[in-house]
Amino acid sequence: MGVPSPARPRVRPEPAAPLRRSVAERLSPYGFIAPFFALFAAFGLYPLIWTAWDSLHRVELTNLHKASWVGLDNYTYLIHDRYFWNAFWNTMTLGVVSTVPQLLMALGLAHLLNRRLRAGLFWRVAVLAPYATSVAAVTIVFAELYGRDYGAVNYVLHTVFGLGNVDFVNTKWPGQIAIASIVVWRWTGYNALIYLAAMQTIPVERYEAAAVDGASRWRQFRDITLPGLRPTILFTIVVSTIGATQLFGEPMLFQGGGPSPELGGSDRQYQTLSMYFYERGFADRHLGRAAAIAWAMFLIVVLFAAMYAYLLRRIRPDGEARL
Amino acid sequence: MGGVRTRVVAVVLAIASVLAPSGCAGSADGAGAGRITLKVRLFGTFGYQEAGLFDAYMARHPDIRIEYSTIQDSGQYWTALQTSLSTESGLGDLQGIEVSEITDATANMADSFVDLGPLGASALRDQFYPWKWAQGLTPDGKVLGLGTDIGPEAMCYRRDLFAKAGLPTARADVAALWKNGWDGYVAAGERFRAAGIPGSAWTDTASGMFNAMIGQSPEQYYDASGRLIYDRNPAVATAWGEAMKIAAGGLSARLTQFTPAWNQAFTSGQFATVACPSWMIGYIKSQTGSLDNRWDVTTAPGGTGNWGGSYLAVPKASKHQQQAADLAIWLASAPQQVAVFEKTGNFPSNRIAAADPAVRDFSDTYFGAVGDPAPIGRIFGDAAGRLPAAVLGARDQVVKDLITKGGITRVEAQGQDPAKSWAKVVRDVTAATG
Amino acid sequence: MIERTTAVPTHHSGRRAGRRPGVPPPRRPGAGRPRAGSPRSPSGHRRRFRSKAHGSRAGWPTYLILAAVVIVSAFPFYWTFVAASTSNAAINRTPPNLVPGHHFMANVRAALANVPLARAIVNSALVSAAVAAGTAMVGTLAGFAFAKLRFRGRRALFLVILATMMVPYQIGIVPLFVMMARIHMVNRLPAVVLPGLVSAFGVFFLRQYLSRALPDELLESARIDGAGNLRVFVSVVLPLARPAMAVLGLLTFMGTWNDFFWPILVLSRDDPTTQVAIGELGRGYVPDVSVILAGTLLGTLPVLVVFVVLGRQIVSGIMHGGVKG
Repeated sequence: MGVPSPARPRVRPEPAAPLRRSVAERLSPYGFIAPFFALFAAFGLYPLIWTAWDSLHRVELTNLHKASWVGLDNYTYLIHDRYFWNAFWNTMTLGVVSTVPQLLMALGLAHLLNRRLRAGLFWRVAVLAPYATSVAAVTIVFAELYGRDYGAVNYVLHTVFGLGNVDFVNTKWPGQIAIASIVVWRWTGYNALIYLAAMQTIPVERYEAAAVDGASRWRQFRDITLPGLRPTILFTIVVSTIGATQLFGEPMLFQGGGPSPELGGSDRQYQTLSMYFYERGFADRHLGRAAAIAWAMFLIVVLFAAMYAYLLRRIRPDGEARL
Repeated sequence: MGGVRTRVVAVVLAIASVLAPSGCAGSADGAGAGRITLKVRLFGTFGYQEAGLFDAYMARHPDIRIEYSTIQDSGQYWTALQTSLSTESGLGDLQGIEVSEITDATANMADSFVDLGPLGASALRDQFYPWKWAQGLTPDGKVLGLGTDIGPEAMCYRRDLFAKAGLPTARADVAALWKNGWDGYVAAGERFRAAGIPGSAWTDTASGMFNAMIGQSPEQYYDASGRLIYDRNPAVATAWGEAMKIAAGGLSARLTQFTPAWNQAFTSGQFATVACPSWMIGYIKSQTGSLDNRWDVTTAPGGTGNWGGSYLAVPKASKHQQQAADLAIWLASAPQQVAVFEKTGNFPSNRIAAADPAVRDFSDTYFGAVGDPAPIGRIFGDAAGRLPAAVLGARDQVVKDLITKGGITRVEAQGQDPAKSWAKVVRDVTAATG
Repeated sequence: MIERTTAVPTHHSGRRAGRRPGVPPPRRPGAGRPRAGSPRSPSGHRRRFRSKAHGSRAGWPTYLILAAVVIVSAFPFYWTFVAASTSNAAINRTPPNLVPGHHFMANVRAALANVPLARAIVNSALVSAAVAAGTAMVGTLAGFAFAKLRFRGRRALFLVILATMMVPYQIGIVPLFVMMARIHMVNRLPAVVLPGLVSAFGVFFLRQYLSRALPDELLESARIDGAGNLRVFVSVVLPLARPAMAVLGLLTFMGTWNDFFWPILVLSRDDPTTQVAIGELGRGYVPDVSVILAGTLLGTLPVLVVFVVLGRQIVSGIMHGGVKG
């Protein structure tokens, strides 16, 4: 994988040493990185620090200048806040139902795309097409397709499986599955292309040797393709998990309007952490609490990243270690 | 090909980077020399644009240019307005405020808005319904908001579905069905359900009925001292109880108001009645278009109440406070309120306008039978004259949404136990207002 | 957004014997590249879009499954068009109507009357292009420094950049808004452009590309000729980085076009981006669902066109380090 992790020794050779370096030349590298860091300091770091400060205060959206120090109260509140944990678990389950099928299907799709195909580019572009849509647009469409009374999905469920009209907006698991299906629809092709790229780095000779040994297609896939993809699979899991942690637009727009969409259904059955952040920060104007939620989310992402770095290191040493 | 495309992309990006700064400048004020631009930022449909009032005002005042924009969703609008107020940025010269937020504004944001009284609004004082005028005042008597419309309630019903179910269709007879109040309304609903019309329920959602009932009570979620009393106010308990009969009794189409599914249901006949504040008249017409003479309007069960209606306010950040106030006063004056009513059905908060024959005697041919148009001017006018002076609270909107969208929907669409659902409401409100 | 891009590097960073395809493929050797060849011949990964030799020839079941996947991918598009070209009544039919009607233009006109969609599309194009161009430029500058220049703190600073990829974008929303208010940018397009320029992914992407595609010898010889870092950057690095900049720009363009949360907060409805306008259409007040969908389709169309015309580049961009937006 290309992401250097802190623990990993540098692989790349040192850059070419310049011949003579004037002071200006010695400082110029900082000039090259200055634009990025200036932008980052202004629009990335500064808001981050401000939010950390906010999370230690009671501060209202309507009165930003009147903040009173509360220490860690906002964080201890979260620990006992059942709505926070509800949002946490919803985020996790939505993450699982959107990530697992997505990556499995992407893997299968990549396997097919890796064959010798007529019009190979067409297939790749076609499976990627959902990626071109926006959350706002596609969720409006899916909300219609999942409509209780006239939705196409319910029509199929009814005629094929004889099921009654499912009220996706007002039920927990059907709702979460429907929301997850939007994510799956948008991202499967994208992940398939990533797997495809990784598959193409697996040396042909291995397959040839396996074929000589009489290994079946399935065995080749299991014994050569999957191990070769392991770091990539791990990475897509983490990336999808991070994406899932921030899931917002799909569940927010899925209800098609009406009051308080940030509740994530009337029983908060698909309220994610991002939506809960929005509820506390913008609906209830409790910026301090919202800031604490945001930092909790950051912590969760960091935990996932650390887990990833750990697993990566275990499989890294020249592919000898096993997951 | 690849190289060509790469070059095309590079060129496009280069052009864009040149254009971007000038494009950004496009959002700056485009006012010509000596001309003042007033930014009017509203939500939903106030009807000014629709009735051509902005154009008329600009024609009368060549030095004023009005820049109007609206956000459909009032909740989203309010969030944006609060954020703008706290940062004093992105504000209009004239902003709309909904009735369920006006107390929040007068109690908590008085410093952010101009006192319209000295700027000329005080002269209108006696023209307004007293309760409407009072709701726009800050605790120390400054005029923060100038009333636009009010939402006196009636009941809208589908004549064709009533006929099918064997219920009376004439307005007086329908009103007689619920002459003993909401219990009568529920009883009529049970008759309707017994008729078994496929695909049609008695009402859209128990939430609409709950809002209508609560609007009839002088005390709602807060008491006059600003304390939350929703959990011990008998009026809330009664309204909740009646709503539960609708929700758990299968009398509703289990829809959520202001969603596309709800909009579609107006046309498809999924419900036979809908609680009908005056602004709902324009809404129904815009939903159902060509379905003339299916809907009709009659008096609401249980007396009358107010649901909705708005205010105009001028933020202190405005650079043209006097001009903005002049516009607000003009819009709130009787002739303009009459014009809005004729166009949209938004009922005047100005009593002179309400008494104007153009309002009082207005009948809408869209509603009622052919040759028997609904006298909506009289129906809503009578209701408006008897409205209670309601006590409002700072977070009325939040409490209301948590009860209806949360509590009622949980019972109605998810089949939860009413008592458990109410317990969740209490928890929600505590968390939101704590 | 503050940071919504995530790198998905696909290559096992080079220790696997022999094969180290660059990020992204320098297509067409000779076209748009400096004369000096890279140490590895590009021919090794030129035929990226023809299947690799190890892929077995696809039989009809493969095509069948792929066709099914494509139908699932395309169905929502098709259904949107059908719904956008009919009326509410047709959408509410059971079984669902799958035949396009002839109201498409009328619905589009109605959508345009409801929200300033034309202006929104122009705004989105400007914002997205500005962010794309800016990200590519900032990314190339920093990417070059991290790939090829030696300076104190290089490693630590690069780690900082990688770390910023993990920050959930919600974290800074409120302070960011306050800041935009202070510099009087609320309701103005730069409010969307400026935070969008902070792309750790852009730096990462260009660094990966340049550390492979920019041979050290080329730098050496330029320096021997007396060129300073700036000259080297302008005359050697920029031309060489162009394919990667184009791919990064393309992916950033699409990501920015589809961005939603921040623009909705910071822009007004009378001067929106496309997603803000679409969101406004879909809020449930516009009576006609077919009108909502016509507007939605119209707002998606520009990106779809970009996608169809430049599909090859986008596919290659994702295969060599994707953008998640």
